[in-house]
Amino acid sequence: MDFYLGLAQTLGVHALLGLSAYIVLLTGQVTMAQAGFFAIGAYVAGMLTVIAGWHIVPALAAGSLVTALVACAIAFPALRVRGLMLVVATIAFGEAVRLFFFNFDYQVWRGEIQVGPLGGEGFRQIRYFPEHGWSTLEVMLFIWGWVALALAALWWTDRSRTGAVLRAVGEDEIAAQSVGVNLTAVKVSAMTAAGAIAGLGGGLYAHYTTHIEQGSFTLVLATFAIAYPILGGLSSVFGTLAAVLFVQGFLVEGLRFLGDWRNLLFGALIVLAMNLRPRGLLDAATATRLKRLFAGPGGAR
Amino acid sequence: MSALELVQAVCDGLLFGATYAVIGIGFTLIFGVMHKLNMAYAAASLAGAYASLLVLHFVHAPALVVFVLAGAAAGVFGLIVYLCCFRFIPLAAPLAPLMATIGMLMLIDESIVQLTEGMPLPYPVLFDDVMLYLGELTFRGDLLLVFGVGLACMGLMLFLLYRTRLGLATRAVAQQSMAAQLCGVRLTRLNALTFALTGLFGGIAGAMIGASVGTLSPLLMLPVTIKGLIVAVIGGLGSIPGAIAAGLLVGAFENLFQFLRGVTERDIYVMLLLFVFLVLRPGGIFAAGRGRD
Repeated sequence: MDFYLGLAQTLGVHALLGLSAYIVLLTGQVTMAQAGFFAIGAYVAGMLTVIAGWHIVPALAAGSLVTALVACAIAFPALRVRGLMLVVATIAFGEAVRLFFFNFDYQVWRGEIQVGPLGGEGFRQIRYFPEHGWSTLEVMLFIWGWVALALAALWWTDRSRTGAVLRAVGEDEIAAQSVGVNLTAVKVSAMTAAGAIAGLGGGLYAHYTTHIEQGSFTLVLATFAIAYPILGGLSSVFGTLAAVLFVQGFLVEGLRFLGDWRNLLFGALIVLAMNLRPRGLLDAATATRLKRLFAGPGGAR
Repeated sequence: MSALELVQAVCDGLLFGATYAVIGIGFTLIFGVMHKLNMAYAAASLAGAYASLLVLHFVHAPALVVFVLAGAAAGVFGLIVYLCCFRFIPLAAPLAPLMATIGMLMLIDESIVQLTEGMPLPYPVLFDDVMLYLGELTFRGDLLLVFGVGLACMGLMLFLLYRTRLGLATRAVAQQSMAAQLCGVRLTRLNALTFALTGLFGGIAGAMIGASVGTLSPLLMLPVTIKGLIVAVIGGLGSIPGAIAAGLLVGAFENLFQFLRGVTERDIYVMLLLFVFLVLRPGGIFAAGRGRD
């Protein structure tokens, strides 16, 4: 049972990563910065509960806020370039964050042991949940509570005027600009929101694994993050959620019996999927067809 | 720490930077003709260098033969990347080749880790016992070789681009692919040739990296990819003189900060350099000054 609860925790955190990439992708920007945001949130929230002794909720909020500020600061130079240059800039940002934590030592004595981040060794003993007697089920529900909150917020944003503005920028920047949309403001806000969501996910990740290290925040994680909304399609937030369930639940966990060969298969599967379905597994045409199927005959136009 | 040591570090970096310049040109050229990023380019190049080690299993080949074989193997890998990630994906889906090449990068990286069990392999070196003295400065023979081969690759690339019909066609496609097609350029064939040729030069650059470090390791894959991309962006995507200057700049900058701040921190400063360029010169080193749009 604990295995499935643990899997549910992983799914929840990856859902937050996917949602973070989703909101930026809505504005038509491809970023690979999610792993960097995730790392910042994880380290900040972890240090606040372990070293400063904060409660988990304000620590998560602070981690999310710090990440949002970093994302906002990084968005200004990064969004000066568009399209594929942004991919390179955000990859460089993610690697810079990873290398920063690789060189980051800040340890304090707490009772008998030293706690805090220690460079390449990582940051051990983030034991807020065990120390306060949270069961795995409670942790899982706590994580999914945040996921539900983020999902609801994004779903509501999507249906509001803001969502329309985001999509307008994603569809055609010049058309959006000509009807008075401030492109920079929209893109920077989307990036900031993405930072907040990914930072939150990072904070939760740090606390349920109890041990974080820079090696977990590589380009592979960023690839996962951007792959969810691309696979799930941009028609709704639930596509991203479905993609997370499919990738993490089926591809990663279900194929675990393949051992080392699983990673090989993973790269090959991405190549194959992109050749067969270049617009995502759930592209607009398929989504419409599915909608018609579920609405029944005559139910949909 | 004296001024001399600083100059020495910058010089060594400049020499090694020739490999980054060649890899950066590869990224830039592929971007130029296809307007797409090939994230697997550096990985395919290093895979070529790995493949060239196979020949040492069978015969005792001289280092020079191994270098040439690395180029040939990487050319084939470049072609495979083109077939798997670009050939059959419609032009109108810009995200798909990007994701596919990232998948390819993961596939190549993981295959090499599996095949070599993650261990670094020794790579043949040339002239590592030669030292050239110029006043107070010393130049390592193997780094000079790397620089010389890098310059030769760049010269050959420039010759191909500006003095042959193939280069004319390549530049035409980069400017306006539709117009080029109307003039009788066969787009698919030209794209495939571009991938094979950039792969060839990338493989030689990969061999040079192996020859100057002395080993090949899977750990090189991602840093070389990222630095190649950074070089292409700093130079201005699509600009070949920009990529050459940026490659040498990144090499020198990296070695300077390795000397000042140590090997674990140096790459942070390379990333910062990229952001400085994004803020001050987003169009690349040699971009014409542009008014605000």
